[in-house]
Amino acid sequence: MEKVLEVKNLKISFRTSSGTLKAVRDISFELERGKTLAIVGESGSGKSVTSKAIMGILAGNSIVEGGEILYDGRDLLKISEEEMCKIRGDRISMIFQDPLSSLNPIVKIGNQITEAMLLKNKGNRKKAKKEFSDTLALLKDNSTAALGEGESEKVAAAVDTFDKFNTEAIQMENSYNTALAAADGLLVDMDEFLFLVEKKQKIDPKARLKEFAGVLKTVKDPFLTRDADSELESIGAELQQAVTVCPKNTENALPEAVYTALNKLKACLENVTKQIRPDFFCIGYYKLQNPEEDLSSKAVEELNAAAQKYLNDHFMNDFLTMADKGLEHSYRVSIDKKKAVMADLKDAYAFFGKGGYDKKTAFEKCKDITDKVEDSIDPLEIVKDSTVYTFKSSLEGAVQKYFQAVVRNPKEEARYAKQTRKREALIAKGKRVDWKVVPKTVYDLNELQAEITKVIERLMVRYEKYIAEAAETDFRVRSNALVDYFKEKASQVVYIVTKKMAKEKAIELMDEVGIPDPHLRYYQYPFEFSGGMRQRIVIAIALAADPDILICDEPTTALDVTIQAQILELINRLKDERNLSVIFITHDLGVVANMADEIAVMYAGKVVEYGTAEDIFYDPRHPYTWALLSSMPDLETTEKLDAIPGTPPNMIYPPEGDAFADRNKYALKIDFERQPPQFTVSETHWAATWLLHPDAPKVDPPKIITDRIARMNKAGGDNA
Amino acid sequence: MSMNEKDEVLLRVENLCQYFKMGSRENKAVDNVSFDIKKGEVFGLVGESGCGKTTTGRSIIKIYDITSGNIYFKGQRICAGTRSYQNAIKAARKELADLQKNGGDPARKAELEKEIERNREEIRKARFDHQYSDREYAKTLVAAVHEEYKAKLEAAKNSPRETAELQKKYKEELRVAKKTRLITKIQMIFQDPIASLNPRMTVREIISEGMVINGIRDQKYIDEKVYEILELVGLVREHAGRYPHEFSGGQRQRIGIARSVIMRPDLLIADEPISALDVSIQAQVINLMNDLRDRLGLTILFIAHDLSVVKYFSDRIGVMYFGKMVELATSDELFAHPMHPYTKSLLSAIPLPDPRSEKNRTRITYNALAAHDYSTDQPSMREITPGHFVYCNDAEEQQYKKELGL
Repeated sequence: MEKVLEVKNLKISFRTSSGTLKAVRDISFELERGKTLAIVGESGSGKSVTSKAIMGILAGNSIVEGGEILYDGRDLLKISEEEMCKIRGDRISMIFQDPLSSLNPIVKIGNQITEAMLLKNKGNRKKAKKEFSDTLALLKDNSTAALGEGESEKVAAAVDTFDKFNTEAIQMENSYNTALAAADGLLVDMDEFLFLVEKKQKIDPKARLKEFAGVLKTVKDPFLTRDADSELESIGAELQQAVTVCPKNTENALPEAVYTALNKLKACLENVTKQIRPDFFCIGYYKLQNPEEDLSSKAVEELNAAAQKYLNDHFMNDFLTMADKGLEHSYRVSIDKKKAVMADLKDAYAFFGKGGYDKKTAFEKCKDITDKVEDSIDPLEIVKDSTVYTFKSSLEGAVQKYFQAVVRNPKEEARYAKQTRKREALIAKGKRVDWKVVPKTVYDLNELQAEITKVIERLMVRYEKYIAEAAETDFRVRSNALVDYFKEKASQVVYIVTKKMAKEKAIELMDEVGIPDPHLRYYQYPFEFSGGMRQRIVIAIALAADPDILICDEPTTALDVTIQAQILELINRLKDERNLSVIFITHDLGVVANMADEIAVMYAGKVVEYGTAEDIFYDPRHPYTWALLSSMPDLETTEKLDAIPGTPPNMIYPPEGDAFADRNKYALKIDFERQPPQFTVSETHWAATWLLHPDAPKVDPPKIITDRIARMNKAGGDNA
Repeated sequence: MSMNEKDEVLLRVENLCQYFKMGSRENKAVDNVSFDIKKGEVFGLVGESGCGKTTTGRSIIKIYDITSGNIYFKGQRICAGTRSYQNAIKAARKELADLQKNGGDPARKAELEKEIERNREEIRKARFDHQYSDREYAKTLVAAVHEEYKAKLEAAKNSPRETAELQKKYKEELRVAKKTRLITKIQMIFQDPIASLNPRMTVREIISEGMVINGIRDQKYIDEKVYEILELVGLVREHAGRYPHEFSGGQRQRIGIARSVIMRPDLLIADEPISALDVSIQAQVINLMNDLRDRLGLTILFIAHDLSVVKYFSDRIGVMYFGKMVELATSDELFAHPMHPYTKSLLSAIPLPDPRSEKNRTRITYNALAAHDYSTDQPSMREITPGHFVYCNDAEEQQYKKELGL
């Protein structure tokens, strides 16, 4: 599976007046495309801080002590605010816990939903256009270089044609999709209308029929409705006729004309929507080459086959061969450069590993090596490798940090010594001292140095792999991927969102998230909505910009069951439809059973147990997971609940051993002394508790959990 | 507890209507809801947000003046609305006017006039009860104190020292009795522990406020009571001098509970007491309330939307939908045989910590317009099996009975 987001060794703390609060202590996880990761834990366990770090909206007093958040070949912790702005809310968006404070009280709901869509579209079109032409230009240059100067004109012509017909194809497809969506929507609406009329509900049939007639006019596309154009026109006229005789209420049966018109329309639309989809990519080329030919005379299958054959014969084979050559050229060049860079890397590794360098030489070396590495990246690589792309920011960050520590450590030592002296002097005088010395936070220089070398080493390993793989790379696969990439970018270029379209989409979204009368609600202010409705608005806003990753920070905690279930279903459905990756943060384990593919249980800034949903629910191992599971009743629970005693520890002074030991009735002696490592339970499942150590005494989970698991297993057996 | 006592009705809500004005329209937040709460039981009230469960709770404790209907507490009417009588008078007046125009039957006329007079009387009574039920209750208490001390003073007539002491006590108790209100026997726990505690009062002040208002002046006695209650809810006496912001969420909710329990209420209205809390703290609060219920013999009206908790905690459950009670049954019965489509939809939405069954769970959607046909046959609350009430009409009643095989 493709990894969308990787969090590696993330450490975050907060400066407070009483010391540094360690909120997140070394957590790592990966998020795969189209999967849901649930982070579960009490409040104060660092769940929200993690998600805010991903969004880049940490509070001002936060310190990122270390770690990386890799997304799309970039380290989100190190990129500039301008770059982050392009990612935040667009590629990664978030649903906040408190809907009231995340909505602007003086802006109408509709504007808040469409804002992101309009902004994003404007920026995206520009960006996609640039990326499209840049990549195409690169391909052109490389192919020319590979094939020799003599072929340059031919290459230029091919590239130009490709550009043109791609845009053409996408435009045709857009028109087709709009018409198809309108037809589908009309079918659904008609069914609902007939149902409500049958039930004699209070609706205005006349207005509804008028609406249908209006929508029908938009069901028009040279490919979709070419056989049915005249028929639809006549039905439209019939419908208009029916509107005039239709009453404004449903007390009496509607006139027969209405039913005949609707039935005809339904039959016709069903035929239309069932058609085979034309292959627009191929047809685009065909159309470009034969602009006069009337394509609507041919059947779709015939057209598809003909266009594909035409494209392959006349263009695609040549283009792909050319692209292969170009890709190969670019690849070979970059591999050669990589080989050359390896020596420099080794040199830098030795230099930074040895230590004893001053700031200036270190930064010079750093700049030198990062420039060389940047130069050795293959620009035509579609899937960006995170290690290579983040090398510059990682190395610079690590070196900077090292020198910060060099400056800061003595100061910190001096402060600590001074305060301690003062305190001791006061005590010696016999005065009452009611303040404590703030503990010193000194960085280990060796560790920071090791971090620098680690960054270099990681790149070296990656490059070695590149060089080893060089012989067996299949360029046909790569060039096909490149063509797909072009298709995607072209679709973004022609995808125009006007205000009206944005409004329509916003209303659709509002309808999707379950807001009744979205047409009226669109113009209301946040205070006019109830809590559940506000949360739905927030979800609609988060989804408006079509993100890759959706972070849900306790989205349903404030809602009641029915709405909670609806919202969970909504998120689940959108996840499947849009191939979203979801990070779902909650403290209610019941909620995530349905959602999560993988679950991370967090406590005191650490992940204490990690596994698939099945692992966590049917085979929990960490006492904290047991406690979470047993503190909520389910429908069969009758015994006293196992509440977790006490509160989470103060993270200004994190405990020496296992943070949960104090509240844990299964705690061993070692739990208070040393932190448990990760014990692997199965391939997908690990837990950090000494109870899993081979020498540990055997402990059974609480009865409330074993009973529940037995019951669930039994029920599962029945289902199967 | 004897069987008889168990069946004693502590609170009776009859045709409760609570309408709010929204410009020219009226919002029927609670519409014709009736239920009984028996002594010693936990009555759960569930429904989605905005269905009127909190309004019901608040109407009972007289935060709002109810529009129509009656609420009886310990047999005494404490809340009464007049809208239904007003409507009856209006209808009668209209008919009377029609009769006068057309020259109708004089016997009918007299009947209608009587009817109007009777309803006017009802309104007077309702207003009186609504306003003065507390005073009446205090009067009975005062009478009881008089009675008690009359006998005692008579007995201690010969010793002047004892008489003086008794006189002092007599005066004190009389003052407390005069200030005691029936409504203080109903107490409420609010949803948000942060918003419901005054940040400028210490815990001692917060907890003892009710007693002070009630006329108790003995500081020592108050302190003792506060410490006792603090220990009862799992806090320590040192906490009494602190301010609410120094506590964690669970502890704050405990303070809220202590504040309501110190008045020794007979009925506790818990309005979503755990919704705003963290998981581990939720369990602590549920355990505490369960504990207190056993120890103090409390009757609880438990308002919540988390069905698993309601099931765990309640003896009987009422399901509300858009201001109406749609189903009422014992909790086991309700979960075993839900009948009203809304209840079914609600139960199908409960998330469970079981991935396998969750993946197969299908939520039933409820559309009030599509599910019922009330155009001709009007629905009402009907008893399908003993103790199981459903809001339905004749056709649906037949259908529900058939489903159960009756």
